[in-house]
Amino acid sequence: MFLTLLKKDLLLELRSKEIVISMLTFGVTVILTFAFSFNVSSDIMSTFAPGLFWIMILFISVLGLQRSFAYEKEFDAYSLMLTSPVDRGLIFLSKWMSGTIFLIITECAVALPFVLFLQLTIDINMLHLCAVIILADLGIMVGGSLVSGLAMRAKMSAVLLPILMFPIVSPVLIAAVKATIGLLNNDPYVYWQLWIRIMGSFTVIFALIGYTLYDHISEE
Amino acid sequence: MSFFSHKKNQIWLGIVSCLMLIDLYFILFVTPIHPEQQWAQRIFYFHVPTAWTGFLAYFLVMIGGILFLWKKDQKWDNFGLASAEIGTLFTALVLVTGPIWAKPVWGHAWTWEPRLTTTLILFLIFVGYFMLRAYGGHPERVSRYAAALGIIAFADVPIIFISVKFWLPEFQSHPQVEMNKQAPEYLYPFLFSLFVFTMVYLIMLRYRMHILNLKNKALSE
Repeated sequence: MFLTLLKKDLLLELRSKEIVISMLTFGVTVILTFAFSFNVSSDIMSTFAPGLFWIMILFISVLGLQRSFAYEKEFDAYSLMLTSPVDRGLIFLSKWMSGTIFLIITECAVALPFVLFLQLTIDINMLHLCAVIILADLGIMVGGSLVSGLAMRAKMSAVLLPILMFPIVSPVLIAAVKATIGLLNNDPYVYWQLWIRIMGSFTVIFALIGYTLYDHISEE
Repeated sequence: MSFFSHKKNQIWLGIVSCLMLIDLYFILFVTPIHPEQQWAQRIFYFHVPTAWTGFLAYFLVMIGGILFLWKKDQKWDNFGLASAEIGTLFTALVLVTGPIWAKPVWGHAWTWEPRLTTTLILFLIFVGYFMLRAYGGHPERVSRYAAALGIIAFADVPIIFISVKFWLPEFQSHPQVEMNKQAPEYLYPFLFSLFVFTMVYLIMLRYRMHILNLKNKALSE
């Protein structure tokens, strides 16, 4: 059932491409504002780069989550889904996974303009960088999907989502920035392993909380 | 007889008011002046108990949330809301008194000290909690969402604290960790203050829950 729900989200996006395109365009716009706001040498920019990257990811994940949950509100699809014999926890897991997949696809596309426009030079193990990014994406999206489930049917859902999500996922933001800095400085893993553990713990704890709570919060 | 003119409630209110006055007298006139921090240290008899009460209130929001989702009884929703309101009031006081103490002692009104930062993040989550309560839509649904958010917020506290602690490890921690090692003339008024603030919280919770129950009854009629 989880795979069916995930497939539904992915198919919807494959047909409309609405989420990824809006996330990507917004991401490039944010990079542009960064480039205009920080007119500094590339050395100084490299110091700020991890923080700027994760701020951008946080912004575009809000946009993606809003779009993803807005689909469910159209024609009251969410209410129909709740009346079907589906474990509500699986709805949360599928939303989390599809959101993470959209975010990873967007990041692949947005990484090039980020490096290019901010004139960065990156000379590190890309595999390690990808692993850190995917782990942080899972953390951001698990918190985001949980909050979206609470805020999606509120009158001010667009405002409530970032207001609730940013403080809740703040440990992931701190950990993601710190781990990225560690990687970019080529520090040994032992120096920044704590941040990987924090992201991992956050993801596991919130996945379990989300799976359990969705059953209670998704009643009609 | 109404709740407010009930003898038992009036006696409790009187006792807690007297305890609060005694506590203020102790803080201002009895406790010795700290040799290093001078008068600034006295805010600790107020700052730490408000922080303790704020976190206790938020912990009870989580308990109320779990019980509401489990039992589906409106009283647990009222309990959660009342505790969240009082918790946010006390947390706001922590955020005001923290910088008042930090300015003369550390030289800066705000530092990213782990406990202060965790309090700020928790305060922001609970501002969102009240927005969700206000704009969430159907009241029955909002109660469930608020219960879930209360659980999420408190479950996030240890992770926020650890991440902020290691984010800027050079920042010193508050000195109240060592409070239990202080001389009795500092320690006993401090423990008394903790007790009095907990009592203030409990009486506020009792009154606020009664008002919320009345409100719900009026709405359902």
